[in-house]
Amino acid sequence: MGNTIRKQVADLFQFVLILCAAVVILVPIYWIASGAFKQQVDVFQLKLLFTPTLANFNEIFRSPYNLHEKLLNSTIVAGTTVIVAIPMATMAAYSFSRFRLRFERTMFLMILSTQFVPAVVIVLPYFLLFRDLGLLDTRLALVLVNLSLILPFAIWMIKGFIDGIPLDTEEAALVDGSSRLQVIWNIVLPMALPGILTAAIFCFILAWNEFLFAVIITNSKAVTMPVGLSLFHAEEGVLWHLISAAGILIMLPMFGLAMIIQKHFVQGMTLGAVR
Amino acid sequence: MRDRHLKYLFVLPALVLVLVTSFWPLLQSFWLSFREWKLSRARESRPLWEPEFDGWETWPYLLENYQRALEDDLLWNSVQVTTIFMFASVIVSVGLALGLALLLAPGGKFRLTVRTLLILPFAMSPALIGISWRFMFQPDFGLFQALFGALVPGLADVDWLGDPTLALIAIIGSDVWHWTPYLTLVFIGGLANVPRDAQEAAMIDGASSWRVFVDVTLPALIPVLAVGIILKSIFSLKMFDQVYMLTNGGPGNATQTLAHYIYFHGFKYYDMGYASAVSYLLVIPMLGLTWLYMKLVFLKR
Repeated sequence: MGNTIRKQVADLFQFVLILCAAVVILVPIYWIASGAFKQQVDVFQLKLLFTPTLANFNEIFRSPYNLHEKLLNSTIVAGTTVIVAIPMATMAAYSFSRFRLRFERTMFLMILSTQFVPAVVIVLPYFLLFRDLGLLDTRLALVLVNLSLILPFAIWMIKGFIDGIPLDTEEAALVDGSSRLQVIWNIVLPMALPGILTAAIFCFILAWNEFLFAVIITNSKAVTMPVGLSLFHAEEGVLWHLISAAGILIMLPMFGLAMIIQKHFVQGMTLGAVR
Repeated sequence: MRDRHLKYLFVLPALVLVLVTSFWPLLQSFWLSFREWKLSRARESRPLWEPEFDGWETWPYLLENYQRALEDDLLWNSVQVTTIFMFASVIVSVGLALGLALLLAPGGKFRLTVRTLLILPFAMSPALIGISWRFMFQPDFGLFQALFGALVPGLADVDWLGDPTLALIAIIGSDVWHWTPYLTLVFIGGLANVPRDAQEAAMIDGASSWRVFVDVTLPALIPVLAVGIILKSIFSLKMFDQVYMLTNGGPGNATQTLAHYIYFHGFKYYDMGYASAVSYLLVIPMLGLTWLYMKLVFLKR
């Protein structure tokens, strides 16, 4: 009898602790989300109850903020990076997974090791190069530097998925006279597609949230959403109601994408974004 | 086409791209680190691929950036800030994550729902976390001000970002919020591999749950804990986004991490040579951690 009560108390205690953790996670997110629908006065008065408004979203898309331009930049930069990186990564991953290559281990470790170079080291020469090429403040420049971040990670992740596909069907098709390319196109790609899409989503999240490169390489034309957050300064201080409206546009799509790939999220993060 | 050509052809584009986008800038910044390269001067406005040989008189300059770095008190300040930040956030976030993982591991509907929440902080842009925490720490209308004020009245009027120590605590706080959920998920994954039988056997033998944790669970978790600690250390070493948005290194230089210091000298003073030299000082500990990580995660396979 005493034991059951003790167990119940322990269970309740655990429940409360977990609940606290959930609250700690959610409060800052709620704070951002609610700020987006507040008027500036309500923000400054720290109101919990307020009359919601959509005016903030209207305002951030108008001059001088023009957030739709930043939204477009972010979408194009992250999208292009993924579209360029994923096919290359898939090819390389297939090769690393299925063939014995000369210097295989060296090449693979070399590609992976680039993930561990701090971005701030890489960005110095990039800045000079882009200045010389007249590419500062362009989306192309951002795509190039983001590729350095995304590609190694995409190779690693997709290789993991291809390693998990059994060899039998491939071998049977090869014996039946299909060429390697046919086998890849007809058998491997369809089977690997969920994994490839997972990697693509992951890379998109990384590129979308990327900040250091963007803050250094862009200043007006190619500014992305995270960098755009620092636009909202005025003489009266930080315009929180506008920042949080922009914040919703930055975080909500990523939450959605993260949910789609939640099973692979941790695995991905264990190497991704190390830089 | 034969497989033996195809297999190299498949790797080639990726390999070339990695070489161009990662190794080239790495070598380039190494070269820069031995030069006095200030964008404010005319000579350095020459394109990167047309370096001018300045004659032998520049040779004595070779190690000057490194020497200057070692003698710069501000750099040592940021080394100190980074070290404190790293140890504090690794210890706090790994500790919290371990506790949370033990709480959440058993499963069940409620626990699984909370586990899903753990993904959210990590899917958020660190820049957004930085700027929103800055707002939450505002003296007059910040969220924390109100919350802490309600819980501990003495904290009601604290100017978090105006005080050197508190600003560092604020950054550590935002980082712990960002990272603990991710580490929790990693540790939950590790806990799934702890042999259940051993735990149950120990329970039946009458061991307390604390003894089961110390004698059975913890030893089995050590590899995962090590990976978590190394990864978190790597991320802490390069901490930039939140610093930039939350305190911008201030007040004074109280929260200037190494990455922010490099950014500051490279892109505010345009002192590229010096910034490159300092960035190589950041690469050294990173290499050590990477080597450990590779040894633990990849080389055993």
